[in-house]
Amino acid sequence: MLKSYRFLCGAFLFTLFIPIEVGHAQTISYADAITTLSQACGADIKKHCKGVNLGNNAIQSCLQENQAKVSPTCTATLAQVGASIQKRQAAQANVASICRGDAARHCKGVQPGEAHLLGCLLKAERVVTDECNQAITDAGWR
Amino acid sequence: MISASGIRNALALAALLVTGSALSEPLTNQQLIQSLGQVTEAAPAVDPAVLMEEITANVGKGVAALPNFAQLAAMPQLTVEINFEYGSVAIVPESYRTVGVIADALHYPTLLGRKFLIVGHTDSTGDANSNLTLSLRRAEAIRDALSTTFAVPPDRLFAIGVGEEMPLDAAHPTAAANRRVQLINIGWAQ
Repeated sequence: MLKSYRFLCGAFLFTLFIPIEVGHAQTISYADAITTLSQACGADIKKHCKGVNLGNNAIQSCLQENQAKVSPTCTATLAQVGASIQKRQAAQANVASICRGDAARHCKGVQPGEAHLLGCLLKAERVVTDECNQAITDAGWR
Repeated sequence: MISASGIRNALALAALLVTGSALSEPLTNQQLIQSLGQVTEAAPAVDPAVLMEEITANVGKGVAALPNFAQLAAMPQLTVEINFEYGSVAIVPESYRTVGVIADALHYPTLLGRKFLIVGHTDSTGDANSNLTLSLRRAEAIRDALSTTFAVPPDRLFAIGVGEEMPLDAAHPTAAANRRVQLINIGWAQ
C-alpha cells in the first residue's frame, strides 16, 4: 500500500516536472553566465592567470592549463559557462526561423528588419504560437 | 525629432556626466538598449582611424574641442566603468559582468547592425603617451572580449584610446571619474 502510494507520488511528480523541463530550453543572459565565472573562478584567475584577458579564450585556456591548482568548483563552472553562452547564442539565432510563420500571419506590412518584427511579435504575444513566444524568451528578448 | 523617451535618456546621460562617475547603480541591459538605441537622424560619419590620427597628433593638448571628437558628444552613448589590473590590459573578474551586460545589449534586435565605438580614457597620472597607448589597448581588450567570448560580430566594433586627453573632470585631472569607458553608437554597419 505504502509502496504503491509512493509510486503514484513519484509518477505524479514525474508528470508535473518533466514536461516543464522539456518545454523550456532554459537560457541565461551573457551577463549572468560570465558572472558565474567571475564568482567561481575570480580568486583562481587572480592567483594563476594574472594579466590574462577575457577575450580570445585566454582565461579559459589559462584555467585549463592550471587545472591541477584551480579549485574544482571553478573547473566545473568553466564548462558550464561556455555551454550557457552557446545556448543563448543558439536561441537568438533560432528566433527568425521558429517565428517565421507567426511573423507572416501577424506582422504583415511591418517594416523589414529584426527589430521591427520583434516589436510586432512582442505586441502580438497573446496570439503568437507558444513555440515562437518561447523562442523569444529563450533569446532574452522580452 | 526627439521622442519623450529620447529626452529622458538624454537627461539620464547628462546626470551621469554631471555626477562625473560611471554608474553607481549596477548597469542593466535595458539601460544600455535605451541609451544606445536612440535614433539619430543623419548621424555624421565617424572614422575611428581619423580619430586615432587626430589624437596621436595632439597628445598633451586635449582633444575634446577637435571637430571629429566634438561630434561624438551628440551621438547616443553611455559611460561605463570597467576595471583593469594595475598597469595591465587584463579586465578584472569583478568587471566581467559589465562586459556581459554590454554583450546582452549588443545582441538585442534594436541594436543589431549598429556600429559601436569603444573609447578608453585614463586619468592624468603618468606619461601622456603611455596613457594613450594603455587606453587604446584596454579598449581593444573590451572589443576582443565582446567579439570572441560573446560573439558580437567584430566588424561592428571599433576601439580607440584617448588617454588623458578628454577628462570628465578637467579641474581634477587625476580624479577617478576620468578613468572610464565610453560606448558610442556610431550608426549602421555597412
